[in-house]
Amino acid sequence: MSQLAIEVKGLVKQYKIMERDAGLKGAIKALFTRKYRIKEAVKGIDLSIAPGERVGYIGFNGAGKSTTIKMLAGVLRPDAGSVHVYGIDPHEERIKNARQIGAVFGQRTQLFWDIPVRESFDLLCEIYEVPRDEFQETVAWFIERLQLESLLDVPVRQLSLGQKMRCELAAAFLHRPRVVYLDEPTIGLDIDIKETIRAFIREISDAWGTTVILTTHDMQDIEEVCDRVIVLDEGRIIYDDRIETLKQTFNNERTLEITLDEGSTFELPPAVTGRVMRLETEDETIQLAFNHHEISSGQLIREIVNCNQVKDLSVVVPKMEALIRNLYKSGVSA
Amino acid sequence: MKRYAKLYWLYAKNHFKVMMEYRMDFLIGVLSVFGQQFAALFFLSIVFRHIESLNGWGFYEILFIYGIAFLGRAIHHIFFDNLWTIGWQYIRTGNLDRILMRPVNPLFQIIAERVQQDGFGQLLIGGSVLWLASNELGMVWSVMDLFVLFVMVLASGMIYIAVNLFFATFSFWMIDSLPVVFAVFSLSDFARYPMTIYSKVIMFVLTYIIPFGFTAFYPAMYFFEGRGFTLFALATPIVAALSLILAYRFWLFGLRAFASTGS
Repeated sequence: MSQLAIEVKGLVKQYKIMERDAGLKGAIKALFTRKYRIKEAVKGIDLSIAPGERVGYIGFNGAGKSTTIKMLAGVLRPDAGSVHVYGIDPHEERIKNARQIGAVFGQRTQLFWDIPVRESFDLLCEIYEVPRDEFQETVAWFIERLQLESLLDVPVRQLSLGQKMRCELAAAFLHRPRVVYLDEPTIGLDIDIKETIRAFIREISDAWGTTVILTTHDMQDIEEVCDRVIVLDEGRIIYDDRIETLKQTFNNERTLEITLDEGSTFELPPAVTGRVMRLETEDETIQLAFNHHEISSGQLIREIVNCNQVKDLSVVVPKMEALIRNLYKSGVSA
Repeated sequence: MKRYAKLYWLYAKNHFKVMMEYRMDFLIGVLSVFGQQFAALFFLSIVFRHIESLNGWGFYEILFIYGIAFLGRAIHHIFFDNLWTIGWQYIRTGNLDRILMRPVNPLFQIIAERVQQDGFGQLLIGGSVLWLASNELGMVWSVMDLFVLFVMVLASGMIYIAVNLFFATFSFWMIDSLPVVFAVFSLSDFARYPMTIYSKVIMFVLTYIIPFGFTAFYPAMYFFEGRGFTLFALATPIVAALSLILAYRFWLFGLRAFASTGS
């Protein structure tokens, strides 16, 4: 299929922020003379996302993630650049675009507060004009996968966070959207519910070819759900690649943690100098960062043990979280 | 259109289910509105115990005008009550984002998300007052008259809705325009009395600026003989339609501003 799910070119969004002096005097002054400061939330983003891709869209708070997603969803109008979701301009043809997208926005509910979950689903079925039999088939599947059976007759306001999030997720996928935006879908949830949710996203996306854009602070979400990572920093994309590539780039990075016998001092064997880097540590342990490619763990350990009184040691493979932190520091660009 | 009617029915059905769960709330709500209106009528009757007529208008004529105002307001109150909450419940909380992501007209969704059952009290009292007043005034109702009454009440409701929507739209630029809507709506109380008792300025404002005059007094004039204002009475549905179009345009303008600032 040649058509892209999401195509973004030179996307820019600015906000006017009203500035005022502190205190009551400042507030009164602001009534008459308004000073604005322009803040560029998104500074020229290009994106091409293929149908069925699952993209982790990450960055610090204020990096421009939700602003981008709001533009992808048609809620905000770009100041410059273009957005197309399956060929549709989301802002110009908002309602047409709305039919092909689904969304979960962490804190806000898509469901209807006072009415039971089942009725909420029914209403969404009508809103999206889902054929009745297709709807029933989908709901049955979701009930099983997300264990919703016991929740169906409970009003949404009475659900716990984990229960609510499972229902939200079902609601977002109910009309079989082509693209789903998930903003922090696992925030504050127990580990087993997180697992259920991640498995659900993977399964549905595989089955229907749903394109998923996932923003999260939980790197486990990215690792288990996504096949591509885009890192945003201060309104710019600083990294965009397959998740395997990201892992491979740092794949050979290892850290050796060493604890010595009491009273002995550490000596770096001459054979390894230049090939390892000693990291600053707060406690007694010594940490050596090295590249698995340049020197194997086995060789390094042999050298260390030969000239030190080692009590304990372990090799650590960096986690996703550390990889991302590395990205921010080194500013690797795609 | 058919789709929207079906959707509204679904939304409403859910409201009624919730309402039945909280029967006590429903009753208290209806009774409180009932009490409110009753107090206004009680006050009016006390005034008329001391005066024969108000600038040439009798008690039952004023009661008739009241009746139309109540019925129009009831339509607004029952079905369009959510317009009050646009600022603090939708724009400020980001709920509008959710609404904009659905393939249904956003204003329709906001309106459909609430049915204010308290308004049924108003409907009841408005109907009773109108019936009582027309009996006392010895009015004879033809089928045509009943049809016109229906249109006038609908138009009255539309004007309340238009004014509410217009001023609620300011929430796109203000933190919350609710105080403004409140202030404007307090003017509607004036409109329940014959406009001839007011100065030219107030009459002008209630006719051409904020057309609350068309919510009760002018339409009532269609049914009174020899009181004049027939043209104004006949203009009521047109004024209602124009007000609604203007308010909806302004709302669309606000929505566009929202899409560019997102606040």
